[in-house]
Amino acid sequence: MMESGLLLNITICFAITLSSFAFAWVLARSEPEHGEKSKPALWALVIFWTLVGFTYLPTTIRMIAAYTQNYGLDLLMYNLAAIPFAFVSVPLVYFIIYVIVGDKKVSGYVSFVFMIFGAAYLTFLYSNGVNSTVTEWASLFSVNSDIAINIYLMGLFIVPTAMILGLLLIILLQRVPKRLRYRTTLPLVAISFVFDFMLTDMITNIDIMQVFARLFVLIGTVQAFLAYFPPLTLQEKLGIQEYQYDFYEEDDETESDNHIGDDSDV
Amino acid sequence: MSEDIDVELEQEVAVFYQSFGINQGPGDIQYRLILKVLENKDPGITEFSDIRKYTDQFADRGSIGSKMKTVFQLEGLVKKVKRGGYVITNKGLMAASFLKNTTTFYKKTKKMGEIIERMP
Repeated sequence: MMESGLLLNITICFAITLSSFAFAWVLARSEPEHGEKSKPALWALVIFWTLVGFTYLPTTIRMIAAYTQNYGLDLLMYNLAAIPFAFVSVPLVYFIIYVIVGDKKVSGYVSFVFMIFGAAYLTFLYSNGVNSTVTEWASLFSVNSDIAINIYLMGLFIVPTAMILGLLLIILLQRVPKRLRYRTTLPLVAISFVFDFMLTDMITNIDIMQVFARLFVLIGTVQAFLAYFPPLTLQEKLGIQEYQYDFYEEDDETESDNHIGDDSDV
Repeated sequence: MSEDIDVELEQEVAVFYQSFGINQGPGDIQYRLILKVLENKDPGITEFSDIRKYTDQFADRGSIGSKMKTVFQLEGLVKKVKRGGYVITNKGLMAASFLKNTTTFYKKTKKMGEIIERMP
């Protein structure tokens, strides 16, 4: 079969869809465990992962359409996937600004700016149209509007990525306990992984690159999952396992007296 | 006077260090305020009343006086130059610089703690 590569592509897209939705759901369900202050950031993350899921759900259908040579559906799904994709940076920016500044209003305003960027990107994308090519590995669309590509690179990706790196640097430069460092930096690394490879996925003209970009998006999603729910073996390896110690009520003095007694006996 | 003393902040920082089990020096609000006043007045003479302006809400006259004697004068952080008048020494300035570091550490730790608190 000529298009076996497309089958792999479909599988990866579907896996991304499933895992990002599952992750968003698990995060949303863990809401009661989080403090009042981290809740806005948590919901921003839930929305972020849901948007990733909603980007890759139509993309999965798109790849199936390409595989079955239904090009009309392919284009329709591309246009549909562009909507959640254009706004994926909005919750992300909200998340980062909120974590750093701690003001819901400020982060709301800043993410609104990114919403405008997203809308502008969609306007230029839809008004200028796309060119499609289907290869053995992928179905590719090249965006005709240069302005759309520029908005998308500058506004939607470079700035949020810089923000993630900034936050990452702030945390890495501090002396915080290892466990805390793992919990705070790994999600950020995972998010930037997913975010940047989504960009590569959408912008590339090379079919194999699209497949690899999607593979890395999948890896990023799994990484984010591991950041929040590290398996025991990983915890042991990294030395970040959390033991449940109970309080010991008895006074130490009585105990040490006994020891002195023991010593004198010897 | 070179800069105003933020009594509330000093109080916060002192409580922070007390929570570490440090009750003297950086964890002592009287010590903090006395040293701040002395530093601000440098190289001039600090009157006892200058110090009391800030410390009156925390301590009576007697305990400040005894702190001046048993800590600041004894350790050579100040030199008594007249009745109720002190001049900060080089060692005292070193202590004041250390005190500034403790404030910076507090601010940094607090900021970082808040960032981590907001991380889900």
